[in-house]
Amino acid sequence: MAENTIRKIKWFWAWQDEQEEAWLRSMSQEGWHLSSVGLPCIYRFRAGEKKDYVYRLDYQTFPKKDKQEYQQLFRDAGWEYVGEMSAWQYFRKEVKEEEPLEIFTDVESKIAKYKSILAFLWLFWVVLIVVIPVRGISIDDPYPWWGAIQAVRVFALLIWLFFTYVIIRLMLRIRQLRRL
Amino acid sequence: MLRDDTSKYLPLTESTCYIMLTLVEPLHGYAVMKKVEEISKGTVKIGPGTLYGVFTLLEKEELIVKVKEEDRRKSYVLTPKGKNVLMNQIKRLEIMTRNGLSVIDML
Repeated sequence: MAENTIRKIKWFWAWQDEQEEAWLRSMSQEGWHLSSVGLPCIYRFRAGEKKDYVYRLDYQTFPKKDKQEYQQLFRDAGWEYVGEMSAWQYFRKEVKEEEPLEIFTDVESKIAKYKSILAFLWLFWVVLIVVIPVRGISIDDPYPWWGAIQAVRVFALLIWLFFTYVIIRLMLRIRQLRRL
Repeated sequence: MLRDDTSKYLPLTESTCYIMLTLVEPLHGYAVMKKVEEISKGTVKIGPGTLYGVFTLLEKEELIVKVKEEDRRKSYVLTPKGKNVLMNQIKRLEIMTRNGLSVIDML
């Protein structure tokens, strides 16, 4: 890897998008500008002049054609598209006087963003609920795949707990926004 | 019955209401953002994230329709259903404004 680029791996929960934005801004203030993002949680930065860029994250899934329209709208409004990581869309803009620095200008649209993540999580949550209690296989009747099935079930249960946690935290975040 | 058809959308949020007000003529996204800022005398500014969400929702509910696409910019305009919703919102706001004006001297 070239000397003027660095790679960082950092985990942010879905409800910590504002912390993530603040972290990216502080990196730019130190002269490290985000050049691309990718799974799993990989951020690539390129060295440059120190600049005050604000970063903003949206959550959107769409067909390619709609994506061009979407990016054009942000470009028109002065936002530079940086990349995408599992439906999270990264934008930035240099801080200048008189320039609006928010991509969401009301509480309803901020909540709508978290709700679209929730919709996706609920789907998996329900699927896992169906998968976990695979029909009981009695221990008296040893089944060659019994161990493997149990392992899958335990794994599915852990994932389900993880999703439950994320869903609860996102719902709390929405409630917090509603109070504003 | 026509009222029931639109009442589920009411009241519109301030952003949605202003966006729909500008779409009496076909406009693309950025033009809507500029126009809203202008006609609201700077009281309402709409970011691209908010606008994209509102456009998506209004199009899905068939309150607006795409009329033109140029250089990756789509223009939208109100549908008859959208006009109906907006009309009822304006009536609501008119009642509220009258109420406000009637007590303004007491404030």
